[in-house]
Amino acid sequence: MGKEVGSERLGDLYTGGKVRRRREWRGLRDTMYDYGCWLKIIGILGKFMLLPRNIRGFFRYRWMSNYLAVPMMVDRHTAGLRGPQLRIAHTEYDLIVKDVAQLLGKLFKGDRNIGNNKAFSDKVVLEDENEMTVFMMGFRNLEGLSRETPAVYVPVLLNQDAVTHYIDIAQEFGLAGDVCPMPEAEAGVSMDDDFPILGSCAVQCNTTCDGSLMGNGVISKRLELEDGIPCFQLVAPIRHREDDVQEYAAQDMRNCIKFIEENTGEKWDWDYYFECAKRVNESTRYRAEWLDISKTDYPQVIGANLALYTETNYMAVCGKGQAFVDADRKITKIAEKAYKDKVMIVPEYRHRAIIWGVQAQYYTEFLPWLQNCWGILPLTDMLSMVSTRVLSEDDREKAYYDMAWLNENMIMRNRTHGGYKVLLDELWEICDEFHADMVILWEHMSCKALDGMHGQFEEKAREKGIHLVWASHDLMDPRVIPRQNIRDDVNRYMRSVMREEPLDPSLEVLDDAHSW
Amino acid sequence: MKDLKHLYYFEKLLDDANNELVRKAQSEGRKCIATVCENVPEVLMDLPGAFTVRLRAPRTGSMEMGTYYLTSLLCEYSRALLERAIEGGYNFVDSIVTPDGCTMINRCIENMELLKTMGKDKENFFYEYMEIPLKADDNGLNLYVLQCRNHILKPMAEKLGIDISDSAIRKAVEEHNKICRLINSIGEYRKENDPRITGYEFHIITLSTYVAPKDMLIEKLEETLEELKTREPDKKNPYRARVVLVGSEIDDVDVVKLIEESGAYVCADRFCYGSFPGREEISINDTEDALTQICRHYMYHSQCVRYMNQDKIQERRQYVRKLAVDHNADGIIYEQLKFCDPWAYERMVGTKVLRDEMNYPVLSVDRPYAVGSSGQLRTRVQAFVESIEIKKIQKGAAK
Repeated sequence: MGKEVGSERLGDLYTGGKVRRRREWRGLRDTMYDYGCWLKIIGILGKFMLLPRNIRGFFRYRWMSNYLAVPMMVDRHTAGLRGPQLRIAHTEYDLIVKDVAQLLGKLFKGDRNIGNNKAFSDKVVLEDENEMTVFMMGFRNLEGLSRETPAVYVPVLLNQDAVTHYIDIAQEFGLAGDVCPMPEAEAGVSMDDDFPILGSCAVQCNTTCDGSLMGNGVISKRLELEDGIPCFQLVAPIRHREDDVQEYAAQDMRNCIKFIEENTGEKWDWDYYFECAKRVNESTRYRAEWLDISKTDYPQVIGANLALYTETNYMAVCGKGQAFVDADRKITKIAEKAYKDKVMIVPEYRHRAIIWGVQAQYYTEFLPWLQNCWGILPLTDMLSMVSTRVLSEDDREKAYYDMAWLNENMIMRNRTHGGYKVLLDELWEICDEFHADMVILWEHMSCKALDGMHGQFEEKAREKGIHLVWASHDLMDPRVIPRQNIRDDVNRYMRSVMREEPLDPSLEVLDDAHSW
Repeated sequence: MKDLKHLYYFEKLLDDANNELVRKAQSEGRKCIATVCENVPEVLMDLPGAFTVRLRAPRTGSMEMGTYYLTSLLCEYSRALLERAIEGGYNFVDSIVTPDGCTMINRCIENMELLKTMGKDKENFFYEYMEIPLKADDNGLNLYVLQCRNHILKPMAEKLGIDISDSAIRKAVEEHNKICRLINSIGEYRKENDPRITGYEFHIITLSTYVAPKDMLIEKLEETLEELKTREPDKKNPYRARVVLVGSEIDDVDVVKLIEESGAYVCADRFCYGSFPGREEISINDTEDALTQICRHYMYHSQCVRYMNQDKIQERRQYVRKLAVDHNADGIIYEQLKFCDPWAYERMVGTKVLRDEMNYPVLSVDRPYAVGSSGQLRTRVQAFVESIEIKKIQKGAAK
């Protein structure tokens, strides 16, 4: 127990209940910093609840109760961190918390069930959770809001069982139980009438997967045919690396913008678009720098927070907010200094790992667990390996192709779709680049795109002498594969193949089945 | 009913992917282009000098190798195809064109490529992956045309020396339409109250047109049509209900056989490998290039569940309803291959809409690839038939 990394037996903090025994002691300075951040988060939540319509929203929507676990979620993801890493993580998470709180507030403001502010609702364009929201980069006066993000995506981060109810609803309705739980849960929320209803129009897309594409059909049926909210289905070609699909994607982007203009009365603003594009480019430059540092012996910006932050920054924000660029700048400054000071994240780096595949949404803190328990450094992950292409900052025609490119290369689907090269071959190139000796491969059992390369991953890893560790899960349904089973996948490999002992034995088996 | 003269012949063609007619056509120097999905316009691969087959894995037993590469969580169609490819069952194929349509089939073909399962001794062999439109609109049409040109026609011309001119394409359309007219004429007999052809027989005949050079089937199809004109139906109709079978790919004739043995006559077949919409004629004019017209036909007539705009989604349900009305169906069976994501959703919503909004009795089932004599499925169909009968009795009593 102290200010040094690895000085606390982190597993001892778990009690078997929802909350942990006590806060982690990180030495006086870091503990005070961490506690200050905790208070800020409590402040954000408190401020949110001061508005009567937000209280109404809290009691109207079943998924809202999960937000009680926000502080615990941040604690889980900062476990074991000290000094610069603690500050980097808080910079990222605290901003995400603030962003989600704002999103919720806006949703309730326009929601026909709660705030019912029609003037505001008319300025809202509903966005699909699984899309790069590039088509909003030129609408300064509109609000692009996602309903799925606060109803499905975020709650599972907070509370692992958050969407099992909606999964059950979809299956009671007749949906097969073997589809991906994410679109399944989203469809379930729609069936259960548990989405806020607002907006002048909506934009859906086919990014991610077949399940997501089909789940959108369920949601758009309600939106268009019952709620009277017209939907545009934005296409992102599957084989996104091919030249002969780019015009198709760009043209649909033009069509999408036209659709929004027609339904909102707003005009696309190129000046605003290029402002946003500049911000995206700046974020990309910072991110590239973080990745470069991760290729050295002293990585600084790694792990679960990198993936979650990148997702929020690229998909939800997409250059539309300055706060994220400011945070990027701050993180880069901290990381550069920490790199120069050769700061270690855990006491010992035993393995350098690339985290590949689709993460278990109910166990994103698995990455800090890897480093704390086994000294496996999660250098980067599939979700963070999003496009680094620089967007044009002045060419309007090229801008359509840039937007289409970003949309096609949505986080995750830029790897899971587009042919085996982007998923399989490029993994080994990334391993070389990052000097990784290990791949932790999330096997999301309902993700057919990943499962379909199972044998190839095994064979190629063997050929290349890379340690490949499968971590099986079911994305949003911990009833199928609980967290401990995921940990056991690694524990077994580390003990039986690597013949190693854990850095922190208290983490090997955890009683966190009910933990927030 | 008296057996159809050529039924055994058609059935034999289904026993093996490399069937008698495939071998005959290849011995004549024609190139065999394989595909795995209805979204690849088959007519473009039936150009003079070539022919297409849609891959199946008849008599599938073990799928262990396919399961190793794809896991047990992918649909059995993709696993069975990969297994058969690894076994060498598709070595006869000269090239393959596949859409990046559903993920599972895409992964299946990619594994075939990575494992070098085909084309070992064929230097001009190609694997081509196509992008298929996700919405039916002008933009989608432009894409479709470009994709067909780049991933079907161009490699066929450059690697296999096939004539891909507009006139060659028009000739292929003519041949294709001839087959469609024959299949549709035969299928028309399914509308009769006492049908003179079973759904099982019809499925065998239709299926054979997907897995063999079409031109080589014309004579036997014509004779079958002629034979049907005078074929006497059974004196006592053995069926207790008429159903439209809707769903994902069915290339196992035992599925329809099992349903009919359970008392439900399959009066219309809306599934991949079925006649709706796969055997609808392609209508083309002389003023526009044939390729564009073909792509337009495939895009607008397609009932593939990947099309994601709401208009197309609604159209799919109306299409099923229309089939039910036209064929005087009592009910609808929505089926899907287990683990098929697209059809899992379509089956759920289709079932709900057809049942609650269009008032049709609907049976909703998932099934394995090779259905064999599945007791579970048989029981479900039998119960469904009984429920339809009960409803009919109740309606009669109410009147």
